[in-house]
Amino acid sequence: MKLEKIIVIGAGTMGQGIAQWFAQQHLKVELVDVNFDFAQASLLRIHQSLDKLVGSKKITEEASSEIKKSIVVKKLSEVDKNADLAIEAIIENMDAKLSLFKELDHVLKSEAIIASNTSSFSITKMASAISEARKKRFVGIHFFNPATIMKLVEVISGVESDEKLTHALIEWFNNHHKIACLCKDSPGFIVNRVARNFYGEALRAAGSFDENKFREIDQVLKDVGGFKMGPFELMDLIGIDVNFSVTESVYQATFNEERFKPHALQRDMVNAQRLGRKTKKGFYSYDS
Amino acid sequence: MTHKKSIMVVAQPDHPFYFDLIKHYKVRTIDEAINSFETHDLVIDLSPLRTQKKFLFLKELAKTTKAEIISDLTLCWAEWIFKYAPQVKAALSTLFYSPNNAIEYGFSNSEEPILKLVLDEFAQITNQKLVEHKNLKLTFHYPRTIAMIINEAYFALGEELATPSDIDLAMKNGVNYPLGPIEWGEKIGLSNIAQLLDELHTVTKDDRYRLSTELKLNALKNL
Repeated sequence: MKLEKIIVIGAGTMGQGIAQWFAQQHLKVELVDVNFDFAQASLLRIHQSLDKLVGSKKITEEASSEIKKSIVVKKLSEVDKNADLAIEAIIENMDAKLSLFKELDHVLKSEAIIASNTSSFSITKMASAISEARKKRFVGIHFFNPATIMKLVEVISGVESDEKLTHALIEWFNNHHKIACLCKDSPGFIVNRVARNFYGEALRAAGSFDENKFREIDQVLKDVGGFKMGPFELMDLIGIDVNFSVTESVYQATFNEERFKPHALQRDMVNAQRLGRKTKKGFYSYDS
Repeated sequence: MTHKKSIMVVAQPDHPFYFDLIKHYKVRTIDEAINSFETHDLVIDLSPLRTQKKFLFLKELAKTTKAEIISDLTLCWAEWIFKYAPQVKAALSTLFYSPNNAIEYGFSNSEEPILKLVLDEFAQITNQKLVEHKNLKLTFHYPRTIAMIINEAYFALGEELATPSDIDLAMKNGVNYPLGPIEWGEKIGLSNIAQLLDELHTVTKDDRYRLSTELKLNALKNL
């Protein structure tokens, strides 16, 4: 498989990281967002990130300059029709995604791959917006935050995705310093599904709001389990609202499977706007 | 400071710490312990039993000794054992492999300094670090959490979501787990995972603890 030009749609944290990572693999990248100024600001942050890498001697000035030149901000109406891959990283809103995929399907050359970086929606459902001829070239490519650092990429095969294409993508990512895993289209894919009960079971062990209990559970899971962070520290870092939303999404998508049932404490924390580090209070307080 | 207590350890030969224990303690199997007329001040019970069997064993043991007991309650409803087997003054969890060589422990009531000295010595002998679990109720934090993660990985395997090696790779590289859940399950022993989840299901009647048939199938393979 040869990928040369790619389009990243959505210039938020994930889109920005994905665009930078592909550029670092010497691909030409077009970064698109409904808000053009936001995409420009995102490009600036990519430049700053590359400057930091130069500062820490991880890449040379010349390499940084080449990477910067390979990323441009475009409007959706102006993207290169000959791009090899378009990857969507917009908000988790099914209608917005379906509308975007319909437009990309209409614009891009017939052999282009269209992919979603969704962490929660069904790939097969999203493929319904794609023409019959291209459905086999529609897949999920799920990066992990920060995309430039985290090694894992989940390649998700929808019901109609071409098996040869998903295997070729796995091989391509493995040849470009990522660790790619093949996964069927199922709620939460591998990681967001298997990891759900790292949080869910910890919430049940705590039962109610008790900072000492959160601290004890975090300590046990780090010291005994060998996890880098405890579940409550991690939920505070991710955002309790974000974590709650993923849990709700997997719970609903599995027709209310008890293993994925959200905990009342999650809902109460969101209602109280104790969302974690971003609001300076979550399971713990971050005053300073 | 030392405790000067004479100790009997109850452990089966397949216990992960068995060979360290026999170098330092008087170690007896379950059958030997309930038929023993030896005297000792304290029993460290590492029998791998679930709540009901554990209770019956402790009841039998009480006929031969009045010693206080530190009991492994990894597969038990801890609060129930504390309430109905009052000779159990402290609990620990040694059955689940820890990547960090650490074990959880807790007291039935407040900390007892002599028992803590015994636990410290036990940890030194078995080369483990102790991590306290205060106010131990249903069961220990680490076993219940890792059991749920491994069970979910087996549900995913049963649905052919991904290969075992891809599930392990994904969890190690997507969320930095120290081990993939499939290899983790092999180290802990799927039978231990199955027994703990079944116990939690029995006690709570909560279907979240329902066992994956794939896990059950593989646990039985190892019996």
